[in-house]
Amino acid sequence: MKRLAHPAAVVLVAAVLCGLVSLSGNDYYLRIAFMMCVYYLCAAGMNVLVGYAGQKSLGQAGLFAAGAYAVALITSRTELSPWLALVIAAVVSGVCGVLIALPSLRVKGPYLAMVTLAFGIVVEKLVGEWTDVFGGAQGIYGIRPLTWNGQPLSSVQWVILGIVLSAALHLLLRNLLQGRFGRALLSLQADEIASSSVGVRVYRAKVMAFVVAAVTCGIAGALVAQQNQYINSDFITFHLSIFILLLVLFGGAGSMYGPIVGAVLLTATDALLARWPSAQHFLYGFLLLFALYVMPGGVVGLFNKWFLKSRHRGEGAAGSGVPGQIGPGGEGELLVVQGVTKSYGGVKPAQDVSFRLQRGHIHALIGPNGAGKSTMINMLTGVVEPDAGVIRFLGRNIVGQPAHTICCLGMGRTFQNLRLFADLSVLDNVMLGRHSRMSNGFLSSLVAWPTAGKQERATRERALQLLDLVGLGHLAHWPAGSLPYGLQRRVELARALATEPQLLLLDEPAAGLNPQETAELGELLVRIGKCGVSILMVEHHMDLVMSISDHVIVLDYGVKIAEGKPAAVQANPRVVEAYLGVDDEEDMAAVPA
Amino acid sequence: MVEALLQALISGLAVGGAYALVALGFSITFTTTKTLNFSHGEFVSAGAFIGMSALFLVLGKPLSSTTFGDAVPGAGAQLFALVAALGVMGLLGWLLYVLGVRPFAGRPGMAWVMSTLGFGVILQSVGLAIWGPKPVVVPAPVGDTVIRMFGVGVRPQELLTLGVAVVVMIGFDRVMNRTMIGKAMRAVAQNGNVASLMGINTNAMMIGAFVVSSALAGLSGFLLAPIAQASLFMGLTVGLKGFSGAMIGGLSNPRGCVIGGFLLGVLESMVNLWQAQWREVAVFALVILVLAFRPTGLFGRSTVEKV
Repeated sequence: MKRLAHPAAVVLVAAVLCGLVSLSGNDYYLRIAFMMCVYYLCAAGMNVLVGYAGQKSLGQAGLFAAGAYAVALITSRTELSPWLALVIAAVVSGVCGVLIALPSLRVKGPYLAMVTLAFGIVVEKLVGEWTDVFGGAQGIYGIRPLTWNGQPLSSVQWVILGIVLSAALHLLLRNLLQGRFGRALLSLQADEIASSSVGVRVYRAKVMAFVVAAVTCGIAGALVAQQNQYINSDFITFHLSIFILLLVLFGGAGSMYGPIVGAVLLTATDALLARWPSAQHFLYGFLLLFALYVMPGGVVGLFNKWFLKSRHRGEGAAGSGVPGQIGPGGEGELLVVQGVTKSYGGVKPAQDVSFRLQRGHIHALIGPNGAGKSTMINMLTGVVEPDAGVIRFLGRNIVGQPAHTICCLGMGRTFQNLRLFADLSVLDNVMLGRHSRMSNGFLSSLVAWPTAGKQERATRERALQLLDLVGLGHLAHWPAGSLPYGLQRRVELARALATEPQLLLLDEPAAGLNPQETAELGELLVRIGKCGVSILMVEHHMDLVMSISDHVIVLDYGVKIAEGKPAAVQANPRVVEAYLGVDDEEDMAAVPA
Repeated sequence: MVEALLQALISGLAVGGAYALVALGFSITFTTTKTLNFSHGEFVSAGAFIGMSALFLVLGKPLSSTTFGDAVPGAGAQLFALVAALGVMGLLGWLLYVLGVRPFAGRPGMAWVMSTLGFGVILQSVGLAIWGPKPVVVPAPVGDTVIRMFGVGVRPQELLTLGVAVVVMIGFDRVMNRTMIGKAMRAVAQNGNVASLMGINTNAMMIGAFVVSSALAGLSGFLLAPIAQASLFMGLTVGLKGFSGAMIGGLSNPRGCVIGGFLLGVLESMVNLWQAQWREVAVFALVILVLAFRPTGLFGRSTVEKV
């Protein structure tokens, strides 16, 4: 019953806090406690966006406004129940969240941050200047508050409501973030390309994070409007956006407890400095400027340093048994490439290349540097779109399909320059590989439906098996980035295998390995082949290629110059020419055919 | 009708000139350091207030006064104010780079977004503590007599802003394309590591980028103050619109940024004729539209990420 320990503790703490609150009669302190809860709601949602998905939003005030003004307009102009209005406000702000997330389809990083900032400013201007609807600085009066037994909530009841909502949100987000979705968000923060290559729908995950942040922020805004029974444009300022962001960064982004710490500490500070607004702003500026420099993990990060050490040692990995079958095996054509062409200006990494891959075989793709091998892998996996040609995988044309779809169809890959999620544990990296094979959706994860837990456990077990297969079971809980290079390659291999590929694409799996390790890798690849996975590897180590592959394809300057059995390819004069070059006709003739 | 349009066009071009200067500032730091000053808008306000306090200084008034009364500063005073605005803003840019950008530049996570934002918030709160939130009417260096041209009235400050912006941008373009310093800057922008191997002092180039960019922000604030009154809150929207101009034109292309800035100024001015409260919405709608079809801007080149 370890699973219920945390929720029980949260309920207990919330109950104690509610008890304490109902003993207090001081309206000033109650108001501060209420604002702590409101800001916690904002911060907890924002943490999903900033701490997990790694997207900077500088326009949360706009979403706060969406919730607040939605509730204000509904309750002051219609007869709807204030509770229903609160729900509608959450939906409205969620829709606004989708609106801000739309540009994230096209732009990243600083551009996106600037777009969110612009959104906040536009909303600020709209509510300030469009006085017919939003009342501007005059504001909207007569907002009906939430009621209990037909009576408006008292100050104490408002705080209790805040605590209950906060506790509920904490539990829900914890369910969500400690499983499939939390991992997916962290992975896209680390590396979007790798993330989509293991089957994470990057764009959808980002939209989800934006919507979560928007909904919680909108609820917070609506609560403030209903509690004050009044809202005007002075509430919605750029400083509010900054304050919400700071709650997360100061408390500790990416930690479940960071937003709590941030909300409590900063709301208290805010109340203390309320008499000197310019000192308040100065402090926030100061914190923004230096907090990340001094404590990148926020206040919680400072404490984590001591706790984390003990946690790493704790669990030894207990993987059980052999992985058995990974792919379906069988025979026949798996992948057909026809007339694929790609050019970047004058560089042509693929010119009318065609080849076929068979089930159950280990294929090798070789060629001198710049031959277009990695580009070919990238085109097969959907990272790069070819200019022309057809790629048929399992009988289906996959040209133009996004990387995560191709991964779901059954194509796994590794990268030439390792793309591991360095801050995540080895185990999490491999578990991410199974992201697309897990069937628990957003809602079932959010409420910790039993199926979600089952999926999570199955994935964990599978990941441990795969780690045992590559011989890394004992390192499962170390951060992937802390491993030596050769072992990181194996983690990436295990992660690719976790996607349950029918075809495994390996981009220079032996790069940087010594002869001993290369030989071990060869054995491992043969073993993987026996688990029903077909392999296409790009490789420079000729001894590895010649010893384990069934079929070799040779590219040179984007043109396929030979293919066939390893021995035949090795003897092909055009291949020798491509690798060693020829001086003139005589040398050409001297090469034994 | 034609007069109103022409009037809007001219004032749009003048304000667009200020946006273009801001956009150019964004472009300079982005190409050399891959970072942006998220408090660029506050720097615009700061430029206006530093120019203003320099005028107070010459007129013998206390620095924290908020009105000029009847005093009209002479040409020398205005020139001194201009130099002060450029110099102090350059220094602030250097400080920003050292405190807020260098510790984080080139690292993942965009911590520099936060630190530059924080720097701006500090600037603004210091300004509020000295001058308070009320806007200040600043006398124009070229007087306030309206010039009549083609039947429309034009304020000389608008023409001055437009002229100065055009001259500065042509000069910048020449420096970037014709001189060794320009080449060095472009080399750092292309690949800082290689540039430093070629003996270019990349650190100095990056400091230079922030100094120039901040000075441009100061210049645009100095020019805008007589048109729109100096206010500590004027910068935020100017900065945002400058950035929007840069995004429309393409952050990586300085010429594109300038065109984007002018385009935005004119667009805004035209929308203003029709419905003032939709001004901001129209501007940002255009940005979103451009980004949707050309994420790197109208004149930007797309970058290929190596996998």
